[in-house]
Amino acid sequence: MAILEGLNKIFESKIRLGIMSVLVANESADFATLKSLLELTDGNLASHTRSLEEAGYIRCEKKFVGRKPNTTYFATQAGREAFAAHINALENFLKECKS
Amino acid sequence: MEEKEVKQTLNDIRDMMSKSSRFQSISGYSIIVVGLLAAVATLISAVVLGVENCFPCSEKLQQCAILDTTTRTRYIALIGMVLFVVSLLTVFIFATIKSKKNQLRFVLDKRTGQMLLDFFIPLVAGGVLSIAMVMQHHYGLTSSIMLIFYGLALINCSHYTYPILRYLGYAELLLGLIDCFIVSHALLCWFLGFSVLHIIFGIIYVILFDRKKA
Repeated sequence: MAILEGLNKIFESKIRLGIMSVLVANESADFATLKSLLELTDGNLASHTRSLEEAGYIRCEKKFVGRKPNTTYFATQAGREAFAAHINALENFLKECKS
Repeated sequence: MEEKEVKQTLNDIRDMMSKSSRFQSISGYSIIVVGLLAAVATLISAVVLGVENCFPCSEKLQQCAILDTTTRTRYIALIGMVLFVVSLLTVFIFATIKSKKNQLRFVLDKRTGQMLLDFFIPLVAGGVLSIAMVMQHHYGLTSSIMLIFYGLALINCSHYTYPILRYLGYAELLLGLIDCFIVSHALLCWFLGFSVLHIIFGIIYVILFDRKKA
């Protein structure tokens, strides 16, 4: 469909869109925060963050807090732009529907 | 059908962005309760200070109220501290209940910690300053200092929660500054700032955020 042009394949998944929403609204979020906000299991979240990382939309920093590994995620500039473009496309679609 | 889905998606994004970035657990009702508690504290303080013509109380009460300055100061400080602790507990308990009800997160994560830090740094500084001033028998500006630093604390942490909190901060700050120039109406200004403003703001907050969700 021509109207849906500009929609990003990666953001077709609600979960990935959710992860991006959190990371764009906040400076960063750690694994546990994302997990509780999106109500996901460890494995599920990990696979979605991996695909976002591969797309270059987010990056992660791994650290040890004491003995516990702690992963913090950040949105990259490319990720922010892609997210904004995706939302613009959604909004344009709504506008077209109205007119 | 498609249109609905897209709308839903945009709404979900908006919700997720605000849910993750704002501390929404503060309950408006707790702000009103804090205002009422402050009103009670004001009344007790007025009796302790023996404010004349404040309200029609019996002669006996007036006579009880005639205490020496040191004892009065101790009572007032005690009332203030009890009020402070009870108010904090109220806000905390209401916030726990609200976040359970709305399934918001109410955990001590980095953001909540940062918010508490930003709130308490100005507040503790102001608190220490007013205690120091009272200890050196400078009573005049205590209420303005409390109002000013409380206002600054609210402004300082407002970007972590609903930005409207900032306006309560501005109001407290302004009142505190006005209070600096008004001699002998400290208790009245304190009452306006910590009771009346809280009750008004609490009602606005309930209408804007708490009732909409229910």
